[in-house]
Amino acid sequence: MNLIYPLTHLMGGIMLLCAFSLLSQRRLSAMITLYQVQALTLAAAAFWQGFAQSDTELYLTGLITLAIKGLLLPMGLRQIVQRFNLVRSVETALPVGLSMILGVGLIGVAVLVVLPTTLNAISLTREDLAISLSILLLGFLVMTTRRNALAHVIGFLSSENGLVLAATGMPGMPFVAELSVALLVLLAFLVVGVFLLRIREHFDTLDLSGIEDIERQGR
Amino acid sequence: MNLCALAIAIPLLSAPFLGTLGDKFQGAIVNLVLNVLVFVITLGVFAAPGSGLVHADSLGIIFGVLTSFIGLTTAISNLAFVRRGNEQLSLRRWRIYHAMCQVVLGSTLLGLYADNIGLLWVAVESATIALTLGVSLSRTALSLEAAWKYFILGGVGIALALFGTMLVYLAAQPALGPGLNAMSFATLTQHAPQLDGQLLTLAFVFLLFGYGTKAALVPLHGWLPDAYAEGPLPLTTMLSTLSLNVALLAILRFRHLMQANHDGGGGALQPGIFLLTLGLSSLILTAFSMTRRRDARRFFGFSSIEHSGLVAFAFGVGGSAAIFGGLLHMLVHTLTKTALFQALSRAAALRGSAAPGGFGFSHLRGMMGTNKYVGWMLAACIFALTGLPPSGLFVSEFIIISQTIQRVPLASLPLGFGLLLCAIAIIRTLGPLIFGPSPPHNRHRKAGRDLNLVAAQLGLGFLIAFAMPFLLLHALSTIAAGLQ
Repeated sequence: MNLIYPLTHLMGGIMLLCAFSLLSQRRLSAMITLYQVQALTLAAAAFWQGFAQSDTELYLTGLITLAIKGLLLPMGLRQIVQRFNLVRSVETALPVGLSMILGVGLIGVAVLVVLPTTLNAISLTREDLAISLSILLLGFLVMTTRRNALAHVIGFLSSENGLVLAATGMPGMPFVAELSVALLVLLAFLVVGVFLLRIREHFDTLDLSGIEDIERQGR
Repeated sequence: MNLCALAIAIPLLSAPFLGTLGDKFQGAIVNLVLNVLVFVITLGVFAAPGSGLVHADSLGIIFGVLTSFIGLTTAISNLAFVRRGNEQLSLRRWRIYHAMCQVVLGSTLLGLYADNIGLLWVAVESATIALTLGVSLSRTALSLEAAWKYFILGGVGIALALFGTMLVYLAAQPALGPGLNAMSFATLTQHAPQLDGQLLTLAFVFLLFGYGTKAALVPLHGWLPDAYAEGPLPLTTMLSTLSLNVALLAILRFRHLMQANHDGGGGALQPGIFLLTLGLSSLILTAFSMTRRRDARRFFGFSSIEHSGLVAFAFGVGGSAAIFGGLLHMLVHTLTKTALFQALSRAAALRGSAAPGGFGFSHLRGMMGTNKYVGWMLAACIFALTGLPPSGLFVSEFIIISQTIQRVPLASLPLGFGLLLCAIAIIRTLGPLIFGPSPPHNRHRKAGRDLNLVAAQLGLGFLIAFAMPFLLLHALSTIAAGLQ
């Protein structure tokens, strides 16, 4: 029995589910755990695609994803949560129910946009693409509905997972490993940025509602 | 020997050394030497454009030289910036600053010379990281805010651009199959009519929003005024000219793919309408926002949004003449804006502080009372930005307007309206800033010699527009005809 279809879809589905659950979570530590599960699934998906397309570069992508996204970044994020004592729940800009309805809408948009335009592509790639676009958009939704820098970062990390999933699903795309490394540099800067720049010093908490400071000064 | 690869590798490889060794003066001098070297190499690219993954087509050659020239003049004026040293920065931050100048230069050149949509994306991404580090350099609350905004919005843009890049690759599958060919601009352009039109349209939307964020087209411009106002001025200059150019050229190249696919019956939509809408909205929104700014760097940040929008508009009009106008506009605007920022930096230094807080209009007003030369240079630069004759931008705007009347008559009225409002907003600041009463405790001061550099760049912009050398004219028209 051919396992390529069901397994790829299973992993894509788990990732989508994680992205969706991020919307409903108010606690940062739970968001980090969800992100970690998503990243580990992504690593498994990359390995599986590497096996299915017999492409060593995808194994490399999977390995990098596993080590850095699956283990190192979540560790760093947990450090930040502990250091800044952010155990309490995060303020959301929208009620959770409403943001979940919006999330369902975005998934619908992604499917409606991708499926009709990719009629000529291989069907596995099509569905993979629809799932990854949904994850991308859900990540952005998480970023817009939270008022916390760390939650922004987690939303961004989740949407990057969607991008890498799309890249691994492209048939024979060159530079997948290189592109995912370039993305990782960006992500690492984000996390290290929160850590080192200590936005907390200036904004008191990691709450970004003070970001309209410039506007208030009228400059 | 591939000169293009050399021009990219030298700044990128020297960045780690600049970031770890030397004091700030040594850093500034090494920065200057490296820029001279890169400038010479980009001139050499004329003779040997190279081939393969990283090579220069005529567009790359012209904008490569422009980039390294701006890098060079910025490095020269950077010497004065470092000597003044108004900003209380530790040694480590000066080192990071100089390293980031080189990374921005190297990745901009990579973005111009890369014949691969993936490499182009990597170039834009690394420039974003470097500029974020640059903007946050002074570590004040305001600069951290600006850097964070830039990073988050830029990051979202980059993510969208990567998705679009992958869609282009997928659209090329039926014609070119898996492998590097499906990512190369040269082969993609050759086979444009055979690409999957619908997928290409979808990809273009993502790419437009992705690279449009980097080009600061309205509604994606939110990061720009803050980043301009808070970063160290030489880096802001590079941000306002070089990184906008790379993003605009990327949009131009993808637009051409789509247009060629549409003309060849591949089923893609006309790209024009997207670009026209974003361009016009940039123009009109800036016109209204500019009247309310009180900080010079923020004000001229909005002016960059205006010009970036105008270029996108010109690309949207389409046809070789409008694209010629857009490219000319980019060239002249880059030179004028660099000159303006250098003059502004000089003016703020004469008034005591070139730190980000020292650029309020109330702080700078009445420049004639402090130094006549600085006052006149600043007046010339600001007037040049309005696009009224004898500014070099007049020529390109004239071409764009006449092409709009010919090809998209409906859009010509809003275009004229937006341009007029922007010109009025800029002219209104000119009087008080230059000829108004100076603030109390103002005394006459001597200007530095680097003002001549400002004059030279302004003159060059004028020369390119009104007396374009035949070789450049020929090259630009060939490019525009090829990318229409």
